[in-house]
Amino acid sequence: MRYLKIYMTCLHTAFSRAAAYRLDFVLGNLITLLSNIIFPLVTVLIYANGAKFPGWTMWEVLLIQSVFSMSNAVASMICGSILWVTMDHVQSGRFETVLLKPLSPLFYIAAANFDTGSIGLFLGGLAMTIISASFTKSSGAWGIILFLLLFLSGAAVMCGLDLIMAAISFKWVGNSRIPEIFESIKEFGKYPLGIFPKAVQVMSALIIPVAVVGFFPASALLGRLDMYSLLSVIPCMLFFIFGIWLYNRMIKAYEGVGG
Amino acid sequence: MTAIKVENLVKTYTTYKRGSGFKETVKSFFKREKVQINAVDDISFEIEQGSICGILGPNGAGKSTAIKMLCGALFPTSGNIDVMGYSPARDRMKYVQRIGAVFGQRSQLIWDIPPVDSFAMNKAIYGISDGDYKRRLDEMTELFDVGEVIHKPTRVLSLGERMKCEFIMAMLHSPEIVFLDEPTIGLDVIAKNKIREVVSEMNSKGTTFILTTHDLEDVEQLADNVIIINHGKKVFDDTLSGLKNILGSKKIVELTLTEPFGGSEINGAKLIGRDNELNISLEVDTEKQPITDFLKSLTDHVSFKDISVRELPMDMIITRIYSE
Repeated sequence: MRYLKIYMTCLHTAFSRAAAYRLDFVLGNLITLLSNIIFPLVTVLIYANGAKFPGWTMWEVLLIQSVFSMSNAVASMICGSILWVTMDHVQSGRFETVLLKPLSPLFYIAAANFDTGSIGLFLGGLAMTIISASFTKSSGAWGIILFLLLFLSGAAVMCGLDLIMAAISFKWVGNSRIPEIFESIKEFGKYPLGIFPKAVQVMSALIIPVAVVGFFPASALLGRLDMYSLLSVIPCMLFFIFGIWLYNRMIKAYEGVGG
Repeated sequence: MTAIKVENLVKTYTTYKRGSGFKETVKSFFKREKVQINAVDDISFEIEQGSICGILGPNGAGKSTAIKMLCGALFPTSGNIDVMGYSPARDRMKYVQRIGAVFGQRSQLIWDIPPVDSFAMNKAIYGISDGDYKRRLDEMTELFDVGEVIHKPTRVLSLGERMKCEFIMAMLHSPEIVFLDEPTIGLDVIAKNKIREVVSEMNSKGTTFILTTHDLEDVEQLADNVIIINHGKKVFDDTLSGLKNILGSKKIVELTLTEPFGGSEINGAKLIGRDNELNISLEVDTEKQPITDFLKSLTDHVSFKDISVRELPMDMIITRIYSE
C-alpha cells in the first residue's frame, strides 16, 4: 500500500515534469508515435506490391507489430528509464541521492522517472492492435488469457535486459552503446518467427526470448500459438529475476565520484 | 550518549593511471596501470548525540567519501560504522529513514518542477502524515524565509535559494542526524549565515549535525567538535577550543599597497606572504590584539588601496597541526 501511494505520487511528479515543457511532451509523443507507425507502413507497402510473409496475412503481421509497439511502450514506461538514469547517475556521482531514500533504488528510479514519452506509443499501439484484430480471426477468452501472460512476459524480458545492462554500468561506467545490441536483437520480435533460420528461431524463443515481445502474444490472439512457445515464459521470468538480483548486487560496487 | 562510532574505516578505490599527451593516451588504451587509492585510510572516531561535529580537510582529503559511507551510500572496504545501532550500508533502508543529508554539490530537488512538488514526493516516500508535513513545512519555510520561493521551478532559483530548499527537503521527515556535505559552498555571506542560523536552531532542539567543509568559518560558528582529515587519515579529533589552542586565534589580512613595504612585520603582525612588492599577506593573532584595533592602526604604518580579512587557509591549519 505504501509503495502504491509512493508510485502514484511519483507518477504525478512525472506528469508535472512533462507539463513543464508541454510542447516537448506533445512533440515527443507524436514523434515516437509517428516513427513507430512508419514501420508498419512498410508491411502495408510489401503486401500492396504483391509480396508477403509466407503463411501470414497483412493484418496478422500488422497485429504482431502493433503488439510489439505496445509491449515496448509498457516496458519503457515502467522500467525504460532505469538503464539511462542509472548510467547517468553512476557517471555523475548522483546515485547517492537515490541511496538516501528509504526505498529499493530500483523502485525509486522506476517510479521517479516514469517515461511519459511512451504514452503516445502505447496509445498508438493499442489503436493499431484493435484495428488489426478486427480484421483477423479472434481466438476467444483462452487466447486473451494467453495473450496477457505472454504480453507481460515480453515486458518482463525487456525490463530484465534493461536491468542487466544497468547493473553492468556500476562497474563498466559509460557503456552507453551496449543497449544498441539489444535493440537490434529485439527487431526479431517484430516478424513471424517462421521466416527466420532455425538458429535464430531458437535464440528468439528461448535464449533471448524477444519473440515474446510481439510474435508470441499476437499469435495467442490469433489462435495460432504453438503450445511449446509457452516455454519461453520461463527464460523471460529468469531474465527479470536475474536482472533484479544483479542490479541489487552491483549497487555494492558503486564508488561515487570525487566530492 | 554516542550517536556515531567509527572504527578503522577504510575505503579503497581502484583506478587506472593514465598519461597525458597523445602517445601516453594511445599506450593507456592498450595497457593501463592499476592504482589503489585509499580515499579513507583507517580512521576511527565517535560523535556524541545532539552535538555538531565539523569534518574539515582540504579538497580531496576524503571527507566526502567518509560522509557518504556514514550515510550508507557507499560500502566501506573495511572497518565498522555504527550509527544509532545501524550499520549504514547494510541496514540502509531502515537507517536512512532516520537521517537527513544535504550534499552541496548533488541536488535532491527535481530540476523542472517547484521544490514544493519535490517535498510532496518526500512526504510520500518517508510516510509523513498530513499534519506533520504541514507543520514542518510551515516552520521550515518561515525559518528560511522561502514562502514564495518553494512555488517557483527549481531551475530558476538562485544557488542560495536552492540550498535553503535542499535543507527543507532533508529536514521534512524530522531526522535525528543530519549530514551536511559542503553545505555553504559557493553561497554569499547572507545565505551562509541563514543556513548556519537554522542549523544552530535545529541543533538546540536535539538534532545531531555532521558537516564536512573546507570553510573554517562554518566550523567556528557551528561545531562543538572538529575532526580534520588529510590524505584520508585523521590528523585531529578534539573540541573546537582544542583546535583554537593549537592554532591560536589567527586571521589573515591581505593588502594591496600603494608603495612597496620592505619589513617582516607590521604592528606585531607577521608577514607571511608576498606575491609581489605591492601585494602582501599578514598573520594577525587576534588574542593579542583585536582585529579592529589592528586595522585601525594599520594606516599609521603602511598606505594601501585594498584590504581583505580571511580565516587561516586549510593547508596552513594542517601544517600547524602536523608541527604540533
